Order: sequence, then structure tokens, then C-alpha cells
Amino acid sequence: MRPFRLIGSFMRASFQEDAAYRTNFFISLFTSLLNLLTGVLGILVLFGQIDSVHGWTLASTLAVLGVYLVVSAVRGLFISPSFDSLSGMDGEIWSGAFDFTILRPVNAQFFASFRKWRLFALLDLVLGVGVLVAAVIQLGVVLSVWQVLFFLFMLVVGMSILYAILLIFAALIFWSPGVLFTWVFDGLFQMARYPANIYPGWLRMVLTWIVPVGVITTFPARALTDSITPVELVVSMLLAAALLVVASILFRVGLRKYASASS
Amino acid sequence: MENTIIRVMELTKTYRVPVRAEGLGASLKSLFKPTYSEVSAVQAISFEIPQGEMVGLIGPNGAGKTTTLKMLAGLLHPTSGQVSVAGYEPWQRQPQYLRRISMVMGNKSQMLWDIPPLDSFRVLGEIYSVPKKEFERNLEELVQLLEMKELLTKPVRNLSLGERMKCELTASLLHRPSVLFLDEPTLGLDVSMQLRLRRFLADYNRSSGTTVILTSHYMADVMALCPRVILIHHGKILHDGELGTLARRLMPFKILRITLKQESMAENELPELPDGVEVLEAESNNLNLRVPRDEAAAITAKLLETLNVADLTIEDPSIEAVIDQVYTDGGQ
Repeated sequence: MRPFRLIGSFMRASFQEDAAYRTNFFISLFTSLLNLLTGVLGILVLFGQIDSVHGWTLASTLAVLGVYLVVSAVRGLFISPSFDSLSGMDGEIWSGAFDFTILRPVNAQFFASFRKWRLFALLDLVLGVGVLVAAVIQLGVVLSVWQVLFFLFMLVVGMSILYAILLIFAALIFWSPGVLFTWVFDGLFQMARYPANIYPGWLRMVLTWIVPVGVITTFPARALTDSITPVELVVSMLLAAALLVVASILFRVGLRKYASASS
Repeated sequence: MENTIIRVMELTKTYRVPVRAEGLGASLKSLFKPTYSEVSAVQAISFEIPQGEMVGLIGPNGAGKTTTLKMLAGLLHPTSGQVSVAGYEPWQRQPQYLRRISMVMGNKSQMLWDIPPLDSFRVLGEIYSVPKKEFERNLEELVQLLEMKELLTKPVRNLSLGERMKCELTASLLHRPSVLFLDEPTLGLDVSMQLRLRRFLADYNRSSGTTVILTSHYMADVMALCPRVILIHHGKILHDGELGTLARRLMPFKILRITLKQESMAENELPELPDGVEVLEAESNNLNLRVPRDEAAAITAKLLETLNVADLTIEDPSIEAVIDQVYTDGGQ
């Protein structure tokens, strides 16, 4: 399959690039551990005082953190590195090196999304999976194959929403190449470390349906405890599909703008 | 033409650019109510290029060369007119079309900075789906022609500008494009590297039959490589044909270089000159004049009589001067 061969070849080249900077490996390791530590510590402090917040126990909250870490790891593995190479003052759109990108006989959105990989994000992935496993053990439930598959499905839905949002930001770069739109989003995304339900009512609604960071992490974690309603399932799938379509259209319009404006 | 590969008809590109007056007030105003003006970069140009030809696109800065090249490659959407390259409309950027072309830009790199060129080449081979055997064969050939075997395994960031350009050329030719667009490929290179790249391009064009469109500011590039030049100025074609014919059009002139004995000479105290003489340059005690060819002898004699001449030479205008003439007064 050509897409997979291409991704394989992008991965190889990116990992070689990463390996050229060995110190980055240790800095990455340090940041990953720090991230993990602050997340887990916050939860331990909270649940040292009380047993549950709005029905969320230590175990289920830990599961959300696990999902957050896994999702962040996947984002850091290829979505962010790929999109980051477009934006900013040294980005391809600003410098015009994007010309080469759109002259390749490969779908531009696919190319822009998958071409840079960050090897060190695999560390985060391992840590995130570790936290998830710990959470499941804490939950004290035995998961059926179906539950695991449902969890993975919700994880894919969440990832798709995150990808679509980031693609929208990447597309906005065509209108304003110097601006780092993702920074604003990152502040909100930080809130997805904890279950959306622990926030006050109005904020929970915003975080679930307006800026759907809640769906990205809370929903997969809830899939582990079977507490997703069919309506929530359908709506989150529709949301993911709609966002993907909108993002894809916006990216294409942005491409056209690039093609008519650059010199 | 029978084997025409590039056909351009009435091609026009107009940019819409924001207009901003100076000052903070105006900047703020433009935030809410931006005003635009239309700048026409290319105006209804037409030409045809047969398969295998090497054509130079020349013109002063801002003439519309790069805009034209970008419309040919498919990077820019034309405002009006038609372009067809290898039977495709470039701006649609169909994969089948993109596989048949390639672009090299002197001021932009397509190489991955931190890894050796060979690894970048492999990624490109994958992107263009070049079969493994063919990839190795093409690479081998290009590496030999460009004498760059020892560069293959060094990180690109450690290479010199000239070495990097060799890599750019290899990268763009690995999939054997039918049309190669070169935008200022020798920009910033030293003379010997320019010479080597020129020789490579000439050899490659001859052996592969690749159609090459080249823009360059170095007239030497164009003179050495392109039997045909298209001169663009203010978005219009001023000349399409041999560089020689272009030169001859302006050849009815000779250049007189005169050094005067007096120490210096201010602009306003230029000596009185005979009719038909045009001052190209007047600096300190040097005078560069352009005179009609058939009057050159008479005018020279007159000047020797009236001026205090220390040194005088008569030359044919250089191709650069011919071009400069066109650039400054539009070849009239």
C-alpha cells in the first residue's frame, strides 16, 4: 500500500534527523517524566483529600490522564511535528519552501500531515500506556475484548477530533503565516488532563461540545467503564466526521489562496 | 509546432496586494478596512516550446519571470489565459502531471537539512514511486555527471552552497522529468561552480531530451545554455528568439569609453557633445558614451578635437549592456 510505504519512508528519514541531535533525547526524556509526574501528583493530592469528584474516582481520573498522555504522545509523534514545519517564521509557508511540498505527486493534506515524525514521542506513548494500565488495575475490572475494542474506537474518534482541530489551525496559517494559532488551543487542551465532569457545568459544556477537548480524553476513558450513552457515541462520531470535513475543505481553500498569492 | 510540450496563450496574472499608507494610524485603519490594489505581473503572454529545447527566461527584477515560471509549474493559478504543459493544465497539479515535471529554486531547498542527501533522495524516490532498480540507475548516472559521490553521506547542513545545488539538481532529476524548471539555479555560486553546473545542464539536456526552462540573472548562464531566450519586461514579452538577434537589434551602437585629462568633472559641467551621442555614465573624469555605429568614426574624431582626451576605446556593447539597455528603456 502506497500511503503506508510513504509513511514508512517519512518515518525513517525523520528518525534519522532526530538521531542527529542526541542531547534532545535526554531533554525529551526529562520533559516526558516531568509531565507524567505533575499529572499523577495532582491527581494523588486531590484524591488524598476526597474519594470522588462528581462520581470520578482515583482510578477513572487516572484513566483520563492515561488517555491524555497517549493522545498527546500520538500528537507529538507526527501531527505536531508535521504541522509545525509549516508554521512560524521559519516555517515552510513563510519561507516559500512549501512550493516543493505542493509540487509532489502526493495528496497535499496527506503529505502535510504525515511527513515529520518525532522519535522521542514514543517515550510518551510508553508512559501513557503505563498510566492507562495502572488505571485499569486500580479500577479492578476485567475488560472484555469488546470493551477494549470500544475503548480503542473512542480513542480513534478522539484522535480524529484533535487532528481535525489541528488541521484547521494549520490551514489558518495560509492566511497568517507568522501566527502560531495552536498556542491558544494548547492552553485549553491542558484542561483535558482531567475529566470534563470535574469542571463547573458551563465550562464542562464548553469543553465537551464547543472546544471538544473533553471528548478527546474523557470519552475514551468513560468507554472503559461503560458509561457512554448511545447518544454521546453518535454525536461524538458525527462531530469527528464534521470537523474532518470542515478542516479538509479549509485546508484546500488555504492551498488555493497560497497558490494565488505567493510570488 | 509538432512536438510542442509547452503551450502558453494570453497568459495573465494579476496580484491583489494590500495597500498601506505609512504611520500607525493608517496601519490601524487597514486592520479594519484593508484596501487593495491590482498589480499585473504578467500580461497576456504567449509562446510555445518544443520538446527538448532549453529556453532562457530573462528580464529585470520584478519583470514577471518567476511568476511565469510558477504558473508553468502549477504553483500559481493564472488570472486568465491558457497554459498547457505536457498536455496538462499545470495549476490542477494532477499527480500524473507532477511526476513529469520538476523544479529547482536557487533560493529554496528541498533537501532534509540534518541527514545525508542519499536519505533525502530515497524519500523522493518513494514519493515519485521510482522503481528501485531505476532509482539506483538514475542516481548512479547523476552522481557521476555531477561528480558528487563523496557528498552522498555527509549531512546536508555541512555542505557548501555549490555542493548543495548539486544535490538539488540530483533530487529534482531522480524521477526523470520531461520538463525541468530552473529558477536562478546558479544564485550565489562561485564562477567555477557555475561553469560546472552549466556544463552538467547542457550535457543532461542533450542526453536526456529534457525540456529546460531557466531563469537567471547571470547572462553567462543564458548565453552558454539557451539558444533561445524569452525576454520579459513589465509582464510582457519584448523578445522571443536567439540572444544574438536581440543583441543585433541594439547593435547599431558602439560604446566609446573616454578618459579625460582633467581631474574631475561634475554632472552639470559635462562637455558639449555632438548630436546622436548618449551619455551612459559620467563619473569623475571617465565618460561612457553610446553612439550610432555608422557615425562612430566621425564622432570620435570630433571628440578628440574638442575634448582633452587621455584615453579612448571603442567597443561593441556587451550582452549585459544590451540587456541593460532593454531593461532601462524597454528596448525602444
